[in-house]
Amino acid sequence: MSNQTLYGEQSYGFSYSSDELRIECSDVYRRSCRNKVVEKRISGGKSIVINPVEPVNLPQEVTSYLSIEFLKPLLLEPGNTAKVFIKFPIEIGVFVKGRATGPIDIFTLTRPKYTLYGDPKSGLICRSYESDVYTEMPETDPLKEGIISLKIKNDDEEWAEIRRTVFDGYSMKIYYGDVVSMTAEMRVINRNVAETSFIDRPLKSEMQKAIELYVARKLLIERKALLMEWGF
Amino acid sequence: MDVLSYTLYNNITVWDVLIFTVVVLTAVVVARAVRLNLKKALSDKIPRSELDILLKIIYYGIIAIAVVSALPHLGINLSGLLVAGGIAGLVIGFASQSVVSNLVSGLFLMIERPIRIGDQISVGDIAGFVEDVHILSTIVRTYDGVYIRVPNERVFTSNIINYVANVARRFEYTVGISYSSDAERAIEIIRRIVDEHPFALRNPEPAIFVDSLGDSSVNIVVRIWAPSAVWYSVKMELLWKIKKALEAEGIEIPFPQRVVWFANEGGAKIESGENVPAREDGRNNA
Repeated sequence: MSNQTLYGEQSYGFSYSSDELRIECSDVYRRSCRNKVVEKRISGGKSIVINPVEPVNLPQEVTSYLSIEFLKPLLLEPGNTAKVFIKFPIEIGVFVKGRATGPIDIFTLTRPKYTLYGDPKSGLICRSYESDVYTEMPETDPLKEGIISLKIKNDDEEWAEIRRTVFDGYSMKIYYGDVVSMTAEMRVINRNVAETSFIDRPLKSEMQKAIELYVARKLLIERKALLMEWGF
Repeated sequence: MDVLSYTLYNNITVWDVLIFTVVVLTAVVVARAVRLNLKKALSDKIPRSELDILLKIIYYGIIAIAVVSALPHLGINLSGLLVAGGIAGLVIGFASQSVVSNLVSGLFLMIERPIRIGDQISVGDIAGFVEDVHILSTIVRTYDGVYIRVPNERVFTSNIINYVANVARRFEYTVGISYSSDAERAIEIIRRIVDEHPFALRNPEPAIFVDSLGDSSVNIVVRIWAPSAVWYSVKMELLWKIKKALEAEGIEIPFPQRVVWFANEGGAKIESGENVPAREDGRNNA
């Protein structure tokens, strides 16, 4: 089956099967991948929605931050703006849709890894992912990797050497179609400080907006930008 | 009706006492309802430790306002109460030094906040999870599930070890391998196992190195940083995985052993068989 048939709204009776993943959903939701089987009985609801979610939940929720380390650093001239593409890991959320929409399963076909950004006292635990920096949209497997279209602006008076970017899961806006995408901005403020934020915009037309897991569960205050205080 | 207008003392009637009681009881009911609704509304939006303190302040605040506003019905003048309160405070202070000490310590614990509800702490010889921080005492649930009430004065004046106050923490193993095993290969295997674990942090980088040449083993130290929220489960998982991986690759984790060299070149000669003379005790040599 193609990837497009996994993402989106699916009626009960839906099944999906590939080498790495098997999903069946009738009155019992059953998912198996990586030798792990999850089964849940569903009472009520009309359909299920499968879409990529903020990749900061697995194997268990310890943070809402995502750090993407660049395999090659990006050098940016003072005052310049670069538009690049980087990859991010995919976590897939399964939601049951009825009178309300709620998550029933989250899984990934990638291997999660975490890191510390900043110092142990006040730094941030982040989901860590390594990506090249691309000037053109890279090829991805939408079940494993998504693409962030990142506009980086250097507002400092010195050249900036950018080795990583950190995002807050609460403000992520994920879209899916034949690729999974987010659109983000990073502003270099000075030698050690930068600011990142997301723009609610799909990378291509005909993309659907993913159900936001974090907003759905924990709407407290609207967080728009993350200040990267410990370098980039 | 005559009962209600019956004077108890200083023009205070049964009716006044009844009003006071109704106001205070209503305040308690309202405070409980407010606390319950706030708890429902905010439980997944504010950390539990902060929510509990906020709820306590709101709950006791409502009751205190009600009591203060209803006191005139009992003929109690608040300005007089302040003077009386000053004197009473001195008396209470002397009479209940430990209570006041615990109270003040509790207030400082709430302001300084070295511990929060849910933290893993060690205070003196008590270690466990903080269940609650009351105004007079702190409740700790030990790792084996025992309830311990620790007076706040003791918490405040002791060395508090909070294992999860920082976002990340380091733990360490010492893995001994035999002298005949390849230490570089062992380090490679351990590094692979650590790298595969999602919560063994990529940065700060794990440190794996030969630390010492022991009596029976080459000792490799493994230092790993993990998120504080999950460090203990990571510690438990990784050691066993390292042990299994080393054994699977043929790297021996030795028992303590000692090689004994005999001083005489030939050593002891032990023989058995038909031609060996019988032992004096009559038992067989074989």
